[in-house]
Amino acid sequence: MSLRWTRVVCPLGAAVGLLFLSSAALAQAEGVVSPRLLEHAEAPYPPSKLGEHVEADVGLIVTVELDGTVTKPQVAESGGVAFDEAALETVRTWRFAPATEAGKPVRARIRVRFHFSPPPPPPEPAPPPPASPTPPPAKATPRAPAPGTPAPPPQPGRSAGHDEPLVVDVVGLSAPQSRGASDFVIRIGELARVPRKNAAELLTLAPGILLSNEGGDGHAEQVFLRGFDAREGQDLELTVGGVPINESGNLHGNGYADTHFIIPELVSSVRVLEGPFDPRQGNYAVAGSADYELGLAQRGLTTKYTFGSFNAHRLLALWGPRDESTRTFGGVELYKSDGFGQNRDSKRASAMGQYEGKLGGGGSFRLTGTAYVDSYHSAGVIREDDFQAHRKGFYDTYDFGQGGDDSRYSIAADVEARSGDTIFKQQVFVIYRGMRLRENFTGSLLDVQTPLQSPHAQRGDLLDLDMTEETIGARGSARLHGEALGQKQELDLGYVARGDHVNGTKMRLQASTSGNPPYKIDDDLESKIGDIGLYADANLRPLSWLTLRGGLRGDLFAFDVLDKCAVQTVAHPSKSSPPGDASCLSQQDLGKYREPIQRASTASMALLPRASLLVGPFRGFTFNLSAGRGVRSVDPSYIAQDVATPFASVVAYEGGAAYARGFESVSFVAKSVLFQTHVDKDLIFSETQGRNVLGGGSTRTGWVGSARVAGEYFDVNANATLVKSVLDDTGLLVPYVPDVVVRADGALFGALPWKLRDEAFRGAIGAGFTFVGHRPLPYGQRSDTIATLDASASLGWSHYEVAFAGSNLIGQQYRLGEYNFASDFHSQGSPTLVPVRHFTAGAPRALSVTFAVNFGGG
Amino acid sequence: MIPVRNLSVVLALASSLTAPGCVGSTGSDLVTFDAAAAGPADAKQGQDYAFTSGRGYHVSLACARLHVGAVYLNRSLPTSGAQDTNCILPGFYVAEVTQGLDIDVLSGTPQPFPGKGQGTSERAEVGEVWLTHGDVNAPDDPGVVLDVAGTAERGGASYPFQGQLTIGQNRATPVADPSLPSANPICKQRIVSPILDDQPPTSRGIDITPRNGGSLLLRVDPKGWFSNVDFQRLGQAPRQTGGPCAGTSADAPRYTFADAPADPASNNLYSGIRYLSTVYDFSWSDSPKP
Repeated sequence: MSLRWTRVVCPLGAAVGLLFLSSAALAQAEGVVSPRLLEHAEAPYPPSKLGEHVEADVGLIVTVELDGTVTKPQVAESGGVAFDEAALETVRTWRFAPATEAGKPVRARIRVRFHFSPPPPPPEPAPPPPASPTPPPAKATPRAPAPGTPAPPPQPGRSAGHDEPLVVDVVGLSAPQSRGASDFVIRIGELARVPRKNAAELLTLAPGILLSNEGGDGHAEQVFLRGFDAREGQDLELTVGGVPINESGNLHGNGYADTHFIIPELVSSVRVLEGPFDPRQGNYAVAGSADYELGLAQRGLTTKYTFGSFNAHRLLALWGPRDESTRTFGGVELYKSDGFGQNRDSKRASAMGQYEGKLGGGGSFRLTGTAYVDSYHSAGVIREDDFQAHRKGFYDTYDFGQGGDDSRYSIAADVEARSGDTIFKQQVFVIYRGMRLRENFTGSLLDVQTPLQSPHAQRGDLLDLDMTEETIGARGSARLHGEALGQKQELDLGYVARGDHVNGTKMRLQASTSGNPPYKIDDDLESKIGDIGLYADANLRPLSWLTLRGGLRGDLFAFDVLDKCAVQTVAHPSKSSPPGDASCLSQQDLGKYREPIQRASTASMALLPRASLLVGPFRGFTFNLSAGRGVRSVDPSYIAQDVATPFASVVAYEGGAAYARGFESVSFVAKSVLFQTHVDKDLIFSETQGRNVLGGGSTRTGWVGSARVAGEYFDVNANATLVKSVLDDTGLLVPYVPDVVVRADGALFGALPWKLRDEAFRGAIGAGFTFVGHRPLPYGQRSDTIATLDASASLGWSHYEVAFAGSNLIGQQYRLGEYNFASDFHSQGSPTLVPVRHFTAGAPRALSVTFAVNFGGG
Repeated sequence: MIPVRNLSVVLALASSLTAPGCVGSTGSDLVTFDAAAAGPADAKQGQDYAFTSGRGYHVSLACARLHVGAVYLNRSLPTSGAQDTNCILPGFYVAEVTQGLDIDVLSGTPQPFPGKGQGTSERAEVGEVWLTHGDVNAPDDPGVVLDVAGTAERGGASYPFQGQLTIGQNRATPVADPSLPSANPICKQRIVSPILDDQPPTSRGIDITPRNGGSLLLRVDPKGWFSNVDFQRLGQAPRQTGGPCAGTSADAPRYTFADAPADPASNNLYSGIRYLSTVYDFSWSDSPKP
């Protein structure tokens, strides 16, 4: 099997997954221990058989040498030449702990069985860039013979009882179809060695993504992607296993997406599609979309304990039954930290579990549950002039009331089944989400005296946002296969539906009063939000090296919003019953009574055509041209009765090239993309609202480049993005969006030349480097650059591993976020009312050590 | 498949088409500048400043000190409606000088504010002078805003006078409508705004665009303070002993501004220091020193 074809199948493999079935015990002769599998790769489905769409079984008998290598593989049960070759080539790469007899290593002949299932969908006519340069990790363990599997004949020199078969089944989910060079399916693999605080930071493996966070450990990361300030997901559709993370109706930002409930170790891959080019992409896919694929490669029970700087403790337990697929797992994470500097303590707990089962005919199903809670404080912004004048320290805070609390619970089920030439998918999900967020960007600036109120001084701008959201939804699709022009053609019809019931309040809290009682209600909304989308996606191949993918998507957004605080001021109040300091008034002009509530409902439809042309006449190269329209709905506060929902529309174009090649055991992938994106209603940060608000149109033009090189002992991924984002009306730059982002991740790993009790030590080092250029800020300013280096080193032996990690090893005191706006934190004699530089502090150097133990992983 | 040994040049060409990045601007600029205040340009430090008031008094000021707590430049005129009540208009300020200064109004020489001003390089239309010693919303403020002494003469009568004004509860406007208890907040008494370049109806903006390294000059003309003051209605009191203007008059003062709302002359003087463009004038220089 050539490595080239291995890479071709990898996109499938990334999503197909492996089921390694094993039994708990091996039949063993007295004093004899069977070989134990240490390293292995999956067998790729032979590309020459992709068109036939058949299943096959191959039984091999191999010799496990004293050093654990595999020799003399023989076909005991043929599945056909192509399948036999795939199995033979793969099994030669496996490594075992040799069999032992009376404690001494002995050669052994064992049986290994491979089961091949056709990975839906059929392969690319013009091979697209592989989703990952190497096959996804998998584990296989010895098991008892499958029913009906003949026992191998006794071999000379072998010990009795060493002929137990290993059985490998290839089944699972169908893979997404590549939309071109900006479609990144990133297998995490050994790049998990690079220190990352959470699952959001895995996104930085895709080009152009910068994460920021002014809201604290529990606050969702602010995402910058290809010239967009996507805030906490408002312009980036985020899903985990297809289940939406974006929160419709969240008053902090419609589409707010908190990924902290995802345990990073349970992420097997991330698909980041930059741009709206796939009809499956829905609401919020303005800059693009990202889908986390869950999986646990390390089977058995793994426990980790991490202790680090700032009194950080992390306890992690993961388990993946050996006889189930990598998509069957459970995990619990507990974390606490005092945080760096003032008011940055945090606590969180997350639990995730998933079971994947097989259905007849190659189908499969998954049941997934998650639970998450956190509580944290945050420091917010610091004025640069206060820092320079030593009135405030770099890691200080003005307002100790800032912070938040979150909870999220979800259950989901999905099934994929085949019927004839059609693959059916169906998924349902239910999500409950709670969120409280307290932020103060402006100090004491906004509490202006109104005539109705009692005389007061500024009471502070501490915002207290509380959200309760219930989401129920489903998605499904049917992928039809046919043949025309001598090529396989496909049509995918699907739907996405979600309904959200959202309660949100936004209040202002008194800063100087004990307990921070609220003094004003800004918003109190109850919303029922619906989004039902229908799409058709064709995969047409007029020639073997030419593919046209795309179709049309339509979404209907419906809003029914009850404003429980619809009247907040009155020009001529009742003299006999003045409203006083109340926020939500029950009178209108001249004191006439009215209820303080008001309902508004509306609906709008968006039609979203998308298409990608992929051309691959040259071996290893794929070129693409893509165009598409995306959409972002608005939050309920913008809804007016019978006024069409003012959703934002984005139009994107790109031209890309990808090159993928294998050299012996090294694989190489490089991509280059030129793009332009226009959005008619951009989101602009408002410090007074503490979030992004709708602004005018803007256009982004830029380039993305990425490369990944992987071999047996290393894996390096690097990317760079250059982009210019300008406002349509003025031609000025869009503030806050970085125009240069460079990221590199690398890992070295492998067995060390030292052994203890005949088990080799394993070593690994990982490093990640981030560079962000001068970001444009309002008022013609540029931010500082950011350059950070994170690294880790680990040493493993047998079931044990110890790892040291350090973040921001350069020790740069950097400003993670920089802003120009007016604030008044009473740091000077008189109010400060003009825009000045503010910053949120980036984390200083932090070190940690992790102890990990794995039991029963095989 | 068409075998091509090396098409990496294609990727190189694509990569070379990277024009964007690190060019352009979001517009405007953040600026810091020097700030100073002074009396009329014709005032000479150490000399009395004489003029004829609107009521025909020949006024000779021997001492005049005005405390300015802060100075702001605003991008646009307040519109009618709720903003009329607001003392602070979020997001509309172009420049500020937040460290206060006791201005010797009898000196035409610019007196620098203790700290630099800061702002944005946007065009300001309106100036604000804050006559306060701290929180502009504080119910009371015992600090003296104006300290003045001199002599007024009319028709052969001489009125040696002295006065100190504060802006606290003595200047609070009673609530006329109980349903609008904050229709007249005290902050409005302490903020002299909007200061334009000329009086209505020909009023126009001050038209100042701050720039880095430039300087802002506030000139205070005391003539306007006394334009409606009838000195003969002042009450007599012992000569004051505190404040910078105590004892500077050649004659022992006998006429005193009572700093009380019941005193019409005090009210007129108080109104005088809140006159807009006849008293206060902003100017800008691109050089560091005014």
